[in-house]
Amino acid sequence: MESPTSPASRLDFYDFIGRMRRPAAADLFHSIRRSIRLSLRPHLLLALAPCPEWPCGSNSDLRFNYCSFLVSLSQGEPNAEEDGGRVQTFFAEMETAIRDHPLWARATNQEIDHALEGLEKYIMTKLFDKTFASSAEDVRTDIEISEKIGLLQHFVRPHHLDIPKILHNEAAWLLAVKELQKINSFKSPREKLICIMSCCQVINNLLLNVSMSNDRTLSGADDFLPILIYITIKANPPQLHSNLKFIQLFRRETKLISEVEYYLTNLISAKMFIVNVNGRSLSMEESVFQAHMESARFGNHISVSGTSTSSQGLGTSTTGLNQESGDTEGLRFPFMDSETESLTPAEVKQLHELYRQVVTRYTLLSKALRKLSVDEDQLLNSVDD
Amino acid sequence: MGCSSSLPANNAGGVGTINNENSASDPKNLRVKLVLLGDSGVGKSCIVLRFVRGQFDPTSKVTVGASFLSQTLALEDSTTVKFEIWDTAGQERYAALAPLYYRGAGAAIVVYDITSPESFNKAQYWVKELQKHGSPDMIMALVGNKADLHDNRSVSSQDAQDYAERNNMFFIETSAKTADNINQLFEEIAKRLPRPTLS
Repeated sequence: MESPTSPASRLDFYDFIGRMRRPAAADLFHSIRRSIRLSLRPHLLLALAPCPEWPCGSNSDLRFNYCSFLVSLSQGEPNAEEDGGRVQTFFAEMETAIRDHPLWARATNQEIDHALEGLEKYIMTKLFDKTFASSAEDVRTDIEISEKIGLLQHFVRPHHLDIPKILHNEAAWLLAVKELQKINSFKSPREKLICIMSCCQVINNLLLNVSMSNDRTLSGADDFLPILIYITIKANPPQLHSNLKFIQLFRRETKLISEVEYYLTNLISAKMFIVNVNGRSLSMEESVFQAHMESARFGNHISVSGTSTSSQGLGTSTTGLNQESGDTEGLRFPFMDSETESLTPAEVKQLHELYRQVVTRYTLLSKALRKLSVDEDQLLNSVDD
Repeated sequence: MGCSSSLPANNAGGVGTINNENSASDPKNLRVKLVLLGDSGVGKSCIVLRFVRGQFDPTSKVTVGASFLSQTLALEDSTTVKFEIWDTAGQERYAALAPLYYRGAGAAIVVYDITSPESFNKAQYWVKELQKHGSPDMIMALVGNKADLHDNRSVSSQDAQDYAERNNMFFIETSAKTADNINQLFEEIAKRLPRPTLS
């Protein structure tokens, strides 16, 4: 009766809850309660509070303990790093408490692990809104990265990242992309991590297949990382920064080791590459890179402004353009109203630099328009209307 | 390419079972994170594949790839050392990401190709990087790979040996192709690892 028989394939948090409901668990709950109160910040406790299914059951002693930590609640500013430390301490104390408790005396390591996985999922799902993308800065970083990836998608090709031709495989890449995009379907750090691991596994399977069918040495990081970066750009996974931060802070520390840590590090480094990307990191002139980014912004603008069909969408898309340029023209083109005679030598220099940029940009924009099968003159005329 | 490789026979298990190992620090059973640095194409992953050849770690249930591999080595003093080997991308454009990988590593293998002076220069760059930013007690090995191609040698063993001595590293030339010195390389690292003191 005391020895649990939960299936090994399942993370049986219900087994854990079941045990916690027994009168024998009262002392354990007591110590957990104490450690929760000591380790969690007030605003996290607040998030945990409205959880009627918290494993108190009808046991009045446990109910009392549960209520007593509700009393200690007050508001606090979110601080993810601090919260991460406290949650980690809490998990570690829970692990010790469970291992030492008679109810788990005959449980295998795996069963204890499952209980702890269940606990992590339970706690982090409850705390999710308070701990995931909880600061304005995180939200901003997520948006910045996502917008940047949106631009990179327009022009970064496998060869820019040193992905050898033999590893080009759209089907496998798409599969990896889909795995990575699932990351926001889950709220627990473990499940989010599994999305990353699955994505990496698809890439590794591709590398393995290519090496076997071509009698080629199994690729290491020289091929793996470039593909992962390319997949990340293609996938533009939602809230990449916050997801990585959340996993790093709230996945149980004892689980974030070894192979899992390696693959997580790879995605972190993919993010870092994308954040710092410049011309040099893609083997192109910086001016060319900037022009690509600019023309991608323009491309996005057209699509954002609502061309549902490319054949007849010109009219609507230019409306959006008009408004935009009307609002910001003065800021973006500071010399439009200047008198030629009044320009200082420094300003002439600045103007010349701007001229160069405009020419590069124009050349690329023309090219982009041709690619979109848009007639430049027709487009200009429609803007004038 | 450079090395003939045997491929892992066992397949990746369920991703659901994420690493179930005991991380307790046991002086008889060491675990060390080892990072591989070096230009792309010098055979970093060949060295590791050769080392773990035919003996892919059965406890590694998550993925099968050459970027991360682990292998346990039994030493004569009846200790075991489990190497967790982190490969890094060697292309120049990814150089700035390396600190994410060597952070917390207990050992590093810096690899160059004995037929390529550029790769030897790059190796020296990595050594300096590790000295500046790596953990101070990291065990470092300088490895001249592709020793089987000695007819095309363009980095002399003596130069590399001298460089390694000046930088407190040990130096060895290997051939991932013929498996020469591969085990010796890892055994030497294992011997040099600091042993946790029994308390």
